[in-house]
Amino acid sequence: MHVRIRIRQIIALVGVIFVVAACGGGPADTSAGSEGPPQRGGSLTVLLSSGFAGSWPSGLDPATNTTGGANLSHMNAIFGGLFKLVADDDGSNARVEPEMAQGYEFADGGKTLKVTIRDGIKFSDGTPYNAEAVAFNWKRDLESTCTCAPRWPLAENGGITTEGDNTVVLKFTQPYAAVINSIVVSNANWIASPTALKKMGEEQFKIKPVGAGPFKVVSNRLSSELRLTRNENYFKDGQPYLDELIIKSVGGDQPAYQAILAGQAHVYEGMVTTPLIEQANGNAQVTVTQQPATSPYLVQLNTSRAPFDNQKAREAIYYATNAEAISKGLFKGAYPAAQTFTGPGGLFHQDTIPGYRTYDPEKAKQLVKELGGLTVNLGTIKQYVAEQVMTALQSQWEEVGIKTTIESHELNALIGNFNSGKWEAMLQTAGAWDPAAGVGVSFRFDSEAPFSGVHDKDLDKLLDDAAATIEPEQRGELYAEAGKLISDKAYAPYILAFAPANIAAKGVHGPGVDTKIPPVLVNTGILWDGVWMSK
Amino acid sequence: MTITEPVTDDAREAAPGVVARLAHSPSLRLIVRRLLAAVPIVLGVSILTFIVLSLIPGDAAQLLLGPEATPEQIATLNRQMGLDQPPVQRYLDWLGGAVTGDLGNSLVSGQPVTSELGARFAVTGELVGLAFVISLGLAVPVALLAAYKPNRLFDRISMFVSITGLAVANYVIALLLVLLFAVQFAFFPAIGFVPISQGLGENLRAMLLPAVSIAFPLFCFYTRFLRGDLVDQLQGEDYIITARAKGIGPWQVLLRHAFRNSSFGLLTVVGLNLGTLIGATVIIEQIFALPGIGQLLLQAINTRDFVVVQACVVVFAVVAVLANLLTDLLYAVLDPRIRYGNS
Repeated sequence: MHVRIRIRQIIALVGVIFVVAACGGGPADTSAGSEGPPQRGGSLTVLLSSGFAGSWPSGLDPATNTTGGANLSHMNAIFGGLFKLVADDDGSNARVEPEMAQGYEFADGGKTLKVTIRDGIKFSDGTPYNAEAVAFNWKRDLESTCTCAPRWPLAENGGITTEGDNTVVLKFTQPYAAVINSIVVSNANWIASPTALKKMGEEQFKIKPVGAGPFKVVSNRLSSELRLTRNENYFKDGQPYLDELIIKSVGGDQPAYQAILAGQAHVYEGMVTTPLIEQANGNAQVTVTQQPATSPYLVQLNTSRAPFDNQKAREAIYYATNAEAISKGLFKGAYPAAQTFTGPGGLFHQDTIPGYRTYDPEKAKQLVKELGGLTVNLGTIKQYVAEQVMTALQSQWEEVGIKTTIESHELNALIGNFNSGKWEAMLQTAGAWDPAAGVGVSFRFDSEAPFSGVHDKDLDKLLDDAAATIEPEQRGELYAEAGKLISDKAYAPYILAFAPANIAAKGVHGPGVDTKIPPVLVNTGILWDGVWMSK
Repeated sequence: MTITEPVTDDAREAAPGVVARLAHSPSLRLIVRRLLAAVPIVLGVSILTFIVLSLIPGDAAQLLLGPEATPEQIATLNRQMGLDQPPVQRYLDWLGGAVTGDLGNSLVSGQPVTSELGARFAVTGELVGLAFVISLGLAVPVALLAAYKPNRLFDRISMFVSITGLAVANYVIALLLVLLFAVQFAFFPAIGFVPISQGLGENLRAMLLPAVSIAFPLFCFYTRFLRGDLVDQLQGEDYIITARAKGIGPWQVLLRHAFRNSSFGLLTVVGLNLGTLIGATVIIEQIFALPGIGQLLLQAINTRDFVVVQACVVVFAVVAVLANLLTDLLYAVLDPRIRYGNS
């Protein structure tokens, strides 16, 4: 009976897919780039998936929220940023530029950083946005346990000080060249009004936070709807262009896509369902902007326990993994196979690593035989793309005799697994736009990191040196060495460099909406002050 | 009568009579008895929920503090949230607050749960109410028409639609409805909620597709159920033969006799369907981005916000108990022979 009903449901679902396909529009027009000049006015609704960025249960105070890394849209709209990641319209030439900061300079061989704040900026409550406010926020941010908190090697005493009204000084225990890039991917970029915070108290502030960004909070229903209105105190004349920005949580890619087609929303950030992206690409009603990939999927292998404390077992996984087949079979080649920790959109990207072990089922079988068999428990987070890749890996590994069980975890169960140390293999994303920042290479490979399966002092030193080196070329060389070491020791086979797509209704333009910006973490930091709608 | 008016002797004599009559009213006694019986049911549900939530792996403090949190930080937060207390103590603390209307604060947002539930209850209540009205409002006439002339064209079409509808999940219906009525024809919004305060028309426009998504499988089920029962009654029951022998017309036999009897069965399944409805709201509220209790429950489960989950489940339990009570009262209205509490 149940089977019969399930079959009927599948038939009905196939019917839906056909109807959806039939409803598709004419030929695609997905050319990137804004058609200027920008027009002022309008109310824009952006949708975010409730499974990721559309969830902000702990509020929007930069220092006390726990999901800030996912909520870039909310935070950037309310707080703007000291710095911003920008790129040419095609996503190339990505760079961090000062925004509310005027500029910065290193001193003391990279052990001191001075950040200058622009003159005359005010929070939306009219209080001054100055060095004191920034220092106040940074001290709070450092206490935060959010993954979006800055991880700076700060000097214990006097690590954060101010010089005059507009200069904040950071002192490190070692040179830390990646600090500016790290600000963009951390809550240190979002400066809250200290006056408003003290006046409202943390519980109220997290619901109606006050910043100096392009928009002010009108109402906030956690993980459901955030209504923002133009900040008339915003420091850029004539911006933001929009009168109103509404951020809504929606139950996934399909309803979000339909809502845009129905004219109920204008932007959906972070679409990952490949068939829908293809469909949207063929629909003239929307613009699809596939963001440049920065964070590749990899299989983390826990080298501190069996079976992957044995390099042969790790090598068997490398040889058994056919990344090209996954790229073509599951994603029709939309995402390139990867061999190291930054995708093509990230800094210090390398297409290939010399000596990287690619798919070779015969070698994999031979190694499994030498090991006397190999049984693996592979896990990942409950997410559409990750689960698809995990299932593909299971079938590939089974083909060479690796017995594989798979498990999908909710986020906190996943964290629990990592913390317990009792895991064998995890399919994860690794890397950010700058490998030293955010969920970057250290997050997955540093001996001290809670999410690492590797304990290698040589690799630690390479990663520390790379983060400390100011000269980009030297940094690139160090990361190339790190990539080679990870490959030689067979610490983690890489799968593909994945990136989500942003879908926008025709007539919506702006940086990150219909132009490409590399995802600073997993999602793109849309620059909402530059987004506008044709009338 | 105002409080300044003198109390007359008649009024004095009448007052105990009213109280006595009310005290002897079977319906009132039923309500009181069922409400008292509901207390252990709701308590049982809350205890069971508490036990299940305690057994689910995952830790709100861990999730709140993130992966970089030290065991000391997690222990501190657990202490601050009272999660380090023995489960029995935690349950009693929760219960003590709940009986005074305080369902605690969300572990994740720190906001009072009662205010959050209050705002969302209106959305879910309206959704469920509309779904019932639509499903029953359509199922009854369709079933009557189908049973009036069984196995004819209308009956066959209605049965085909019913069987097909039963095989299709709510979320598929929701997506189809959005495709047709929001995307293609733009009659209704695809997502979002409009409060009644902003206009009843706009509110109904926003709620109609979600309500129909929930109502359609129910409509199919009720139609099949009622049509089957009516046909059985019409074909085999003695009282129907008697009624026909008296020369009563076929429509009157159907409506006055067969339908009246069949409505008891229908009422029972409607009461039992409430659980299915609540389950459906969780998915449908997610698809249509409706800020109801279903959406809140799903978010709370994902964030291991046990205080919110507990509150949502208890609210659902109370609603289910009240719905069953209402069903029993309707039995009495439909059939005067039923006198609760007399036996």
